[in-house]
Amino acid sequence: MNISTDPWIWISSILSLAILSFLYRENPFFRAAEHIFLGVANGYLVTFYWHRILMPILFRPLFQQGDLLLIIPFTIGILYLTRFIPRISWLVRIPIAIYMGYWTGVLIPATIQAQIIKQVQGTVLTSANFQSWNAGAWGIVWSVIVFIGVLCTLSYFYFSREHKGVIGVTSRVGIVFVMIGFGAAFGYTVMARISLLIGKLQFLLGDWLGLIR
Amino acid sequence: MKLYERLMTIDRRIIYGILLAVVMLPLIFPSVVKVTPMSPVEKLFTAVDNTTDDKALILDCSYSPQIKAEVEPMAIAVLRHAFKTRKKVLVLSLYVEMIGLATRAINQVVEEFNATAQTYEDSIIYGRDYVFLGWQPPPIVPMLGMGESISNIYVVDYYGNETDTLQMMERIRNYNDISILVALSGSRIPISWVAYAQNRYGLAVGVGCTAVSGADFYPYYQTGQFTGLMVGMKGAAEYEELVEANYAVKGRRIASEAMLSLTYAHLAIMLFIVIGNIGFFLHRRKK
Repeated sequence: MNISTDPWIWISSILSLAILSFLYRENPFFRAAEHIFLGVANGYLVTFYWHRILMPILFRPLFQQGDLLLIIPFTIGILYLTRFIPRISWLVRIPIAIYMGYWTGVLIPATIQAQIIKQVQGTVLTSANFQSWNAGAWGIVWSVIVFIGVLCTLSYFYFSREHKGVIGVTSRVGIVFVMIGFGAAFGYTVMARISLLIGKLQFLLGDWLGLIR
Repeated sequence: MKLYERLMTIDRRIIYGILLAVVMLPLIFPSVVKVTPMSPVEKLFTAVDNTTDDKALILDCSYSPQIKAEVEPMAIAVLRHAFKTRKKVLVLSLYVEMIGLATRAINQVVEEFNATAQTYEDSIIYGRDYVFLGWQPPPIVPMLGMGESISNIYVVDYYGNETDTLQMMERIRNYNDISILVALSGSRIPISWVAYAQNRYGLAVGVGCTAVSGADFYPYYQTGQFTGLMVGMKGAAEYEELVEANYAVKGRRIASEAMLSLTYAHLAIMLFIVIGNIGFFLHRRKK
């Protein structure tokens, strides 16, 4: 056992234990650690935004180097704060409209291309898709399963007709695929949470207590 | 109290205690678990391996402290691989709170290599072998802007050097000079890289993600939008295995060390699920 003498590791370990103590029950140590985290995180963000964004990108070029064009984004940005003044709070709509317009224009084509067109292409039964599985003849089987799974799952979420007859059958198959998807996601979630616990224990047992390497 | 009633009313703290023991004991008394690399990880490894001398790879370390356990081993494994094979690396983070962790991973791997380097050529030198671009908000700006010019977006690097003046950047101008971008993240950032950088500039995107994101990301791997994929701590362990098996890179393999704990914890949870279900069905039948 080789306990750390680094004060930062001690602080980090004690705060970790305080947070983990919530697993037993709510207690003042947990609350204290939670509040410290919130305070530190906010302070870190505010100072970082000030020093890494506002100063170098806006204030210094505008007020020290005389880049007057920056008055435009500066003014638009300031309008966000008008919502605190009821008489002119309507001005907040200007930056919101610009922000929404910009993001809608940027997001929609990119999302359609990356998340709809390419994904639909991935379900089409083509030789390229069979080979993408890198599984020889089994590639055809996996592609067909994906094809059936997508169609049946979509039919399960088709609510304009009662789920009877053909749609009834396909939607029942679809729910099986949905459940398998949930199962996979749950399995992965378990792995993720256990991994985080392992990471924390590696820190506490290793870096702090020196019980492992 | 009947058996099924006991099964249905086990105190959650007992379950936490059992899980803690199951995870902790293999860490204190380790034993080797053979990790077999899967195809998605092998493809990522190969893509990084195939980076030619005239190109660089970008490592996007956009992971925050809460997912460090899963994703930091990936960053370390990819950096070890890249430095061992003398690939040029550009590191960046898309969010401010992730800068510190990226710096930590880079410093650790650079120190490992430089501790054993015999000559200046063997050493990993900032500006020659790697550059830390830092953080440039909002994420879409570097994603799109680097397609035209990296140094226009990152005028200075994280340490305040003018990017254009760095030796490595003489030949690295934009995405045409990038072989692959490896996005390490616990969010949907990798999909944004595909949507903006890949759709528009054809950038190859490899991904290291948390296990929670794994099920969402596999469709993108199947369609070829992700060149390769590391999922969770197991994905990191597979990459560590490939790096050691192919290049005998020595160094602590955090993810591989955790595999035994992970395996036992999974078995314990499967057991809990079975016991819980037995209790539930016995209870229902009794009703």
